[in-house]
Amino acid sequence: MKDLKHMIYFEKLLENTNNELIEQARSEGKLALGYTCFSMIEVLLNIDKCFSVRLRAPNTGSMDIATYYMSNYTCEFCRAILERCFEGGMNFMDAFCAVDACAMMNRCAENIELLDLVPNEKFFVTHADIPYKVEDFTVRHYAVQMRKRVLNELRDVYGVDTSDEALRDALNRHNELCAIMTEIGDLRKLDNPPITGYEFHVLNLITYCCPQYLIIDKLRETLEEIKNRKPDPKPWYKARVVVVGSEIDDLDLIRLIEETGAFVVADRFCFGSIPGREVIEIDEESDEDLLTQICRHYLEVSECPRFMSSEKVEQRRITVDRLAREYNADGVIYEQIKFCDFWGFERALASHIQAEEYGHPVLSIDRPYSAKSSGQLRTRMQAFVESLEIKKIQKAKEARK
Amino acid sequence: MKQKIKNKGKSFVEWLKYGDKEIGHLYKGGLASTRREFRGVKDTMVDYVNWLKIWGVMMAFTSKAPYKIARGFFTYRWMPSYLGVPAFVDRNSMGLRGNMLKICHENFRRVVEAGTVYIANMMIADTRFGDGDEELSKKIVLFDEMTMSQIMGGFPNLIGIPYQLMPVFLVSEIDQLICIPYIDAIESFGLPSDTCPVPTSEAGAAVLDAYPLMGSCFIASTMPCDGSVMASSYQERRFKIPTYPLCFPVRYHDEDVLFSGVEDIKGCIKFIEEHTGEKWSWDAYFENMKRYNEELDLEMERWAINKTNYPQIFGSTSALYREFAYQIDGGLDPRTLKTYKKVNAIMEDGYEKRLPITRHHRYRAIVWSCPSHYYANFPSWLSACWGITVLADMEMLNYDKPLNVEDEDEAFKDLARVYSRMVMRKHTNGGYENVLPELWKVVEEYNADIVIMYQHVACKTMVGLQGLFDEQARERGIHLIWVPHDLMDPRTVSRKEMRQSVNRYMEAVMGATPVDPSLVDFDDERTW
Repeated sequence: MKDLKHMIYFEKLLENTNNELIEQARSEGKLALGYTCFSMIEVLLNIDKCFSVRLRAPNTGSMDIATYYMSNYTCEFCRAILERCFEGGMNFMDAFCAVDACAMMNRCAENIELLDLVPNEKFFVTHADIPYKVEDFTVRHYAVQMRKRVLNELRDVYGVDTSDEALRDALNRHNELCAIMTEIGDLRKLDNPPITGYEFHVLNLITYCCPQYLIIDKLRETLEEIKNRKPDPKPWYKARVVVVGSEIDDLDLIRLIEETGAFVVADRFCFGSIPGREVIEIDEESDEDLLTQICRHYLEVSECPRFMSSEKVEQRRITVDRLAREYNADGVIYEQIKFCDFWGFERALASHIQAEEYGHPVLSIDRPYSAKSSGQLRTRMQAFVESLEIKKIQKAKEARK
Repeated sequence: MKQKIKNKGKSFVEWLKYGDKEIGHLYKGGLASTRREFRGVKDTMVDYVNWLKIWGVMMAFTSKAPYKIARGFFTYRWMPSYLGVPAFVDRNSMGLRGNMLKICHENFRRVVEAGTVYIANMMIADTRFGDGDEELSKKIVLFDEMTMSQIMGGFPNLIGIPYQLMPVFLVSEIDQLICIPYIDAIESFGLPSDTCPVPTSEAGAAVLDAYPLMGSCFIASTMPCDGSVMASSYQERRFKIPTYPLCFPVRYHDEDVLFSGVEDIKGCIKFIEEHTGEKWSWDAYFENMKRYNEELDLEMERWAINKTNYPQIFGSTSALYREFAYQIDGGLDPRTLKTYKKVNAIMEDGYEKRLPITRHHRYRAIVWSCPSHYYANFPSWLSACWGITVLADMEMLNYDKPLNVEDEDEAFKDLARVYSRMVMRKHTNGGYENVLPELWKVVEEYNADIVIMYQHVACKTMVGLQGLFDEQARERGIHLIWVPHDLMDPRTVSRKEMRQSVNRYMEAVMGATPVDPSLVDFDDERTW
């Protein structure tokens, strides 16, 4: 397939946390709000003069200082973010909107706050409390937290317009972006799709990590380009896989998977598009206000394993099965960043369930934050892809009989 | 010559009066329970009588259902470990004399008594063999062990059992090796080995079918930490009974989300009513919580005495009883209050007479962070070996406000507050304010010389603050001794290694000499 016009530019933007678009937006008087978790509602961080930046730490090397503060037993993503703050790589942030959803990220945020690592005068860290299940009262709980810990803080510290009109405007912009990404993402369902999993991952990361208003034009253009793109006569992949698990912001990991011949058809991981890039529908007739409806949407679509009620546990399993069928996947890869408690437990159990109860071939792996140099990971991926290929051959033979 | 004989005579009289000065020989080699500490004639008698009483409690328990309990011994691997209870009490009373020895026995006997009731009910109701008492089983509401018991105060006809308490949690304090098969089983299944051993063991016990089967419903909870949240899905899958997830706000100091906790409590009560047919009784609840409040007052008295120059209770004796009364008993059993009164009377007597807490008391200490289960008696060793007296433990310093016993709406709010502040939630939820500035405040209140800082290597909430603890202690000139452990898995950090952390600091930094050199180094890796 012909290369996408803006791909190199997009890849370049992802080489650093603080990229040229963030600098441009800040020079235009916008406020950069860092966040790390799906549970921090992205729409709210793009209200009025704010823009959201989902934090990552590309090209992380040593994490010695963060390890001193957080020990070598904690999630490498959290430590990498902290280390990058020590290095000054997050100094662009006007606020860090953290959620108390996972203990390690919470401690990371607290270290940033207490050690005063971002030297901006009005910089603040906010910690929002996220519920563990979906009930009317937990939706209200979530809305109270988002109002108090995010919107009110932004209004009081930076004079941000947090009115319903401003929120609706942010939502409309969010939905426009999500509609584009959904349309691109759906093309992965085709047998011979005009986009690779890696390319989609790059585009998706761009939407999370750059000021959205500065990339929307290029995304629109890219959508048209992909729609008109001529795929190779034969599909390039050997097998189709759904990737499920904890955060992946590392381009090299998806690249590594696809280099072994597996096409990542669905990205059901933190920083992925399922969920995160679906349009948020608002019921104008509802008694609930706009913020509450947005909160309800986030709670309902969330696939985070920290939701512990039976129906949410079941929802996660059904979602993976549905994605595997919808995207015609040959297998499922459950991945977990090392030391992540939520995904550590979820991966161990759900990988058995998907294999034994839903009949999907499953690869279950834990991985470091930076995966590109992991030969072991590559070998396991290769072996999995080969096993899927063999299964396909055997299936075809049986069908011929 | 005369002088020599006189000296020998004097030391013999002292020996008869105060007992062994060195007790390390008791812990060398096999099981420590085969030999007993000589504490002087009087205190040995006190100890021996109380030792017999512990056996008495255990024998009384077996008589409740001899066949079913005997069968349990051969069915559940954790049951025989409870034969180590007397040895556990011995370890917790090492080096103790006088009032503190009596207090230790009083507190532990009450805990053992409560534990035996749980086990007896579990064995009688167990439906695994087809002869479980179904009527009893229907009356049992199973709780996640990390959930408090106060809600059951409103259901006087039901029995609340913290499900994993006996098969996993408590037994791991008695037998250091008991959780290893659970941990290995679940890790073989695919769970990473870096998770906290509590939820790991709970999930492993489910996989190994170590839980007796019973109960009308199960109350799972998010408490205290991320691992516990996740272990619920393993257990729910195994228990196969209706489950209610009780989920309290993480940032529980924020009163703006208190309503969420209140609604959850109401939901939980409704769930119990639906699955048991029983109705919540405010009268019964208020009556039980009055007792809880009375116990709380007595606990506050203990804290107040310990802040003076004449503390009267220390270590696990104090912490474990507080945790038991606060969380497991929750004011429901009058015997807990009785023990409180008895112990406080002894303490007050000691305080009035200005008695030293131990004969070798040298340093006032606070223990912070989550303590090791497989070395629950670590404070006893600190005292016996180095004269370090642990006056307060982070886990016991939880909610200290009385619960409302008059107004129903306010009572719900207080229930949500106390549940949000269950044991172990202090260091796992609510932000750094709970543990970091709080520690320096407690050090000042208790006038502590030393902080024993447990470093539970798999506790990702506390290790996430380790650098800040280190820095702030240095800034304040506080002696902070890091003691690594892995909660329920002694293979990661052994008891001996835990002791070494203290030994090295005391020798190198404090320049101290041990009060009992025979306890500095010994092997106890294969004992209970």
